[in-house]
Amino acid sequence: MAYTTFNRQMNDQMKEPMFYGNPVNVSRYDQQKHMIFEKLIEKQLSFFWRPEEIDVSKDRIDYQNLPEHEKHIFISNLKYQTLLDSVQGRSPNVAFLPIVSLPELETWIETWAFSETIHSRSYTHIVRNITSEPHKVFDDIMLNEKILERAEDVTRYYDHLIDGINLYQRCGEGTHTINGKEYSITLRELKRRLYLCMMSVNVLEAIRFYVSFACSFAFAERELMEGNAKIIRLIARDEALHLTGTQHILNIMAAGEDDPEMAIIAKECEEDAYAIFRKAAEQEKDWAEYLFKDGSMIGLNKDILCQYVEYITNSRMQAIGLKAIFSTTQNPIPWINTWLVSDNVQVAPQETEISSYLVGQIDNEVDGSDFGDFDL
Amino acid sequence: MPQQVKVGANIDFHFDGSERTLLNALEQQKLQVNFNCREGYCGACRCKLLSGEISYINEPLAFVRKNEFLPCCSIPLTDIEIEIP
Repeated sequence: MAYTTFNRQMNDQMKEPMFYGNPVNVSRYDQQKHMIFEKLIEKQLSFFWRPEEIDVSKDRIDYQNLPEHEKHIFISNLKYQTLLDSVQGRSPNVAFLPIVSLPELETWIETWAFSETIHSRSYTHIVRNITSEPHKVFDDIMLNEKILERAEDVTRYYDHLIDGINLYQRCGEGTHTINGKEYSITLRELKRRLYLCMMSVNVLEAIRFYVSFACSFAFAERELMEGNAKIIRLIARDEALHLTGTQHILNIMAAGEDDPEMAIIAKECEEDAYAIFRKAAEQEKDWAEYLFKDGSMIGLNKDILCQYVEYITNSRMQAIGLKAIFSTTQNPIPWINTWLVSDNVQVAPQETEISSYLVGQIDNEVDGSDFGDFDL
Repeated sequence: MPQQVKVGANIDFHFDGSERTLLNALEQQKLQVNFNCREGYCGACRCKLLSGEISYINEPLAFVRKNEFLPCCSIPLTDIEIEIP
């Protein structure tokens, strides 16, 4: 029951479920129950980048010349993204690591969360560059009502799960009296909390980031804040991979492949899943309204952005087997796709995007014919 | 032998190998397919494979159901019939 950092019990890791089996002991990758997580790790590692590699110095001049309402759009998005990545840089570790049972999944979670910390550092890199008072930007995150409103929904499912895990790992299933107050927990309830949490993370990666992405790219289409757009592009590439990760986890859960009870829970939680998607979409539309409260920007306005939210919400829902909830079927800002293409992403000109560029550089094969024109 | 690609009831064309992927070929036909990464890890271009077989140039990382495929990293192996969502 209690968590241990190196489980002494000899277990066959190939027979463990993704979560709530034995804690992981040996981090081994010679055998894998779900190969996909190893592939995601490799891909994520090949995506590695550092914020300092991207020159954002021109953005300072661009930012100073932006009209006030566009400054508001730009800086508010940065604040919101800072919140999202603050949460994502730690929460997968805190929530999922104590309950994960497969080494490849454990390492994927760590790799995933680590890449979010790079995103957080990149926001400081951007903010430091465009203003001489970066503290004002960051301090405001904790005071800005519009952001805090979203923080509540982003973190609620994580906190609920973590709270349940703490109780379960300390006291086990049942009703317990702690400091005079009664608490009860069952493994089934914990599985439910995990499923809902994963769904909410999936929605975070799938929808919540994209309003900000759209604005960043809309600036860059006008050749403004291009350093920022380069960074956002790298972030978007990472987020697409994280999203694929949570979609896989959710689909494995729903199929009941390694824990049949999880499939039943996924069915039971279907209504909740719809509700989580619907609420996130509504909140993001409200966010679009807040962004454009003092005026739109060229190429984007509240209505277009709301349609985009509906469009991606639909497609993200279909990816995990849910039905679309909005009537929008067309992408209202098709130009955004060009910004999301992987091989247009370039950190430094000498680097290529081929993740396997070090493999096969040396030809190790030698046979008799290689010595054909060799004389002594 | 180029493979025939049928999209819905009205469109069909031949994949003659001049395009690297099915997604490129579909775009050549002026068909609108959603896409993001074009590398198989985001799953944005997911289409339905109604009949026939495709072959992946690179195994996709995105989750793909049994009757679905990703045109961004695949080519047709036989004549195929697909549906773009």
